Amino acid sequence: MNKIFGKPLQLLIALVLVVSLLAGCATEQPKKTEKTEAAQDKEKAENKETEAEKAEKKEEAEPEKKADKTDKEENVELYFLHKWPNPEYIGYFQDVVDKYMEEHPNIKINMEAAGDEPIKDKLKIVMGSDKQPDVFFSWSGEFAKNYIRSGNALDLTPYMDADSEWKDGFMQAGLEPFTYEGKNYGVPYRINGKFFVYNKELFEKSGVKAPETWKEFMETCEKLKADGVDPIGLGNIYPWAACHYITGLNQKCVPQEVREKDYLASSGEYTDEGYIRALNYFKELNDKGYFQAGVNSTEHNMSLEMFYGGKVGMVYIELEEFADVEEKMPGNWGFFDMPAIEGEPGNQNFLTGAPDGFMVSAKSKHPDEAVDFLKFLTNKENSIDMVNALGWPSPVIGAVTTDNSIQGLVDGLDAVAQAEGMALWLDTDIDIRISDVYLPALQELLNGDKTAEEVMQEVQEIAKTVREESSK
Amino acid sequence: MKIYNNKKMAFFFLLPALVLLIVFVYYPIIQNFVMSLYKWKAFEDTRVFVGFEYYKRLWNDSVFWLALGNNFLYALISIVFQVGLGLVFAAILEQKFFRRFQPFFRTVFFIPSVISMTVVGLMFQLIYHPSIGLLNQFLRTIGLDNLTHAWLGEKATAMFSIIAVSQWQSIGYIMLLFLVAIQKIPADLYESADIAGASSLQKFRFITVPMVKETIVMCMIITLIGGFQVFDEVYVMTAGGPGRSTEVLASYLYRAGFRNDEMGLASTIASVIFLLTFTMTLIQLLLSNRKEEA
Repeated sequence: MNKIFGKPLQLLIALVLVVSLLAGCATEQPKKTEKTEAAQDKEKAENKETEAEKAEKKEEAEPEKKADKTDKEENVELYFLHKWPNPEYIGYFQDVVDKYMEEHPNIKINMEAAGDEPIKDKLKIVMGSDKQPDVFFSWSGEFAKNYIRSGNALDLTPYMDADSEWKDGFMQAGLEPFTYEGKNYGVPYRINGKFFVYNKELFEKSGVKAPETWKEFMETCEKLKADGVDPIGLGNIYPWAACHYITGLNQKCVPQEVREKDYLASSGEYTDEGYIRALNYFKELNDKGYFQAGVNSTEHNMSLEMFYGGKVGMVYIELEEFADVEEKMPGNWGFFDMPAIEGEPGNQNFLTGAPDGFMVSAKSKHPDEAVDFLKFLTNKENSIDMVNALGWPSPVIGAVTTDNSIQGLVDGLDAVAQAEGMALWLDTDIDIRISDVYLPALQELLNGDKTAEEVMQEVQEIAKTVREESSK
Repeated sequence: MKIYNNKKMAFFFLLPALVLLIVFVYYPIIQNFVMSLYKWKAFEDTRVFVGFEYYKRLWNDSVFWLALGNNFLYALISIVFQVGLGLVFAAILEQKFFRRFQPFFRTVFFIPSVISMTVVGLMFQLIYHPSIGLLNQFLRTIGLDNLTHAWLGEKATAMFSIIAVSQWQSIGYIMLLFLVAIQKIPADLYESADIAGASSLQKFRFITVPMVKETIVMCMIITLIGGFQVFDEVYVMTAGGPGRSTEVLASYLYRAGFRNDEMGLASTIASVIFLLTFTMTLIQLLLSNRKEEA
């Protein structure tokens, strides 16, 4: 035995083991790439890197020429990241992507989708890597600005200026929240507004109609309650639901220029009394029993089910949910905007809501192709298809018509177009560290653990920290 | 057979595993600690050295202490119920009378731990719901209306409600570990105890418990560490709410890192979690070793 396992051989065995292990690691990679398209894309991008780097250097020298050269000869791969992996949505996106690739045989699009919550984290990770998606989903407001400020989003202004037909096809309210310092960084894909949707039958039974002022709104609630119906369903186990109320109420209670200044990280103070009044209007709804019991342990979808089941008279929901409402209670619903509050100094004609859409990575190796794909995605024909297939409120003018949508959606979009502006979702409009204090505090406000004054004091404190940090 | 005595050789064969461990476990731990000394964002290249600033901030952060307290509560209750009750359940099922039904109860108790936490969480969101939930409806039916709560929506009950779900889910798993351990105890020990006229309780106290001591220590370590790693339960059921009342270290870490993009703070919390679990495991192992030697 000793002879057989001499020292050199022992060493050799150990070496073989180590090497085979390393080799095992190496051969695994190509296997993985077969599995997921996105990974494949990354892999190839890696291989191409050196070529691309060389090309980039050349590009810097002669940026004009590159576009026509690379377009036709080279095969281009685009990484497209969106947030609709749900089986009912992804099929549509696959179709559009396939259609585009058919028209552009030299372009291969690797599509990937991550859900509503996961994409927030996924984007943060991939944007920090050198495998940035060429075209990626983004909410508007602060969420988008984070990428814009850090230089990760491509300035789309030149492309829009060059193709005014494309630019003018969007509602202004859709484009504006994607602009930063006068430049366009994003393209809206959906435009969302928040409305109170009510059960017509229950409203008729109690002899009430859609209110126009806050006073009427409170009276409506009172009457519904007297008839034994919980007036409003609110699912606030995750506090974005309450935050949407506060988005509208802040807009109505705080003077416009004060609010705009406060929502900026560098100048936010939140000392206006209007913020406290906004919280108290909201709390009053709860204290008077206008929400169903247990708002903080009800999930949003549960509150919707209560509404569909006729247990609550109204819910405060988004335009994109209208199609569901129509399906569950056809014809038996109407909607109204959050009513104006008499005597409050904010602009009463704003609508709570925001567009979301797509941006192009500033590090994209093929920005022209990426923008071209984006144009394709948002051209009128495909927008009409999208509304047909998904029932989403498109910001492309003329995409939503009674031919392809329910009346409610058309009316809702009209309301969006008529609003003087949009109050963007508070949690995407202010610095995330502030909303991280503001939102959970709303649950405590409803529970009676904190007063409106205490909530705002906490907000002021964190705003101060954020302000100091951002001015450094 | 010189090869089995060659210690240097052993290192060669251990090398592959060692390399993997170093690359995927030890290096990241060190790297994480280094990262906690910087202020940085996931998608920005700039990094600012801040030293122990984040550790100081955590020290003065009431949410951190709240989260830490919740973790301790979690671990403590889990040890009492999962390890304590799990052992008792296992001992009962090993009783002669119950042994016939053991497969049935074993399965019943074990099933919850194979269900995905997300499913369990959503299910309990419904069970705990104040108006349509099973729990409150049950309480109302038997006339205990004053005990009804908005379980997940109230500060006072939310954390305990989540912990309770965990107990329900994990007790079967721990019980199974104890069953295996108890079955390994030589039967003659119990027989001689029977001859000596020992009661069931005495047999449990003087035979079962000492004989499964190692399993007890192991289960305590598992549940203790589990108590400090808990995330899914909280994230699915309350996401830390109402307010911050059910925040635990892992959810706080997640919030700091992936939501607020304060990666330095998140790394700091991760370091703290590591230090805590590492120290506790060390203490437990040392304690159990010392007893053995004595």
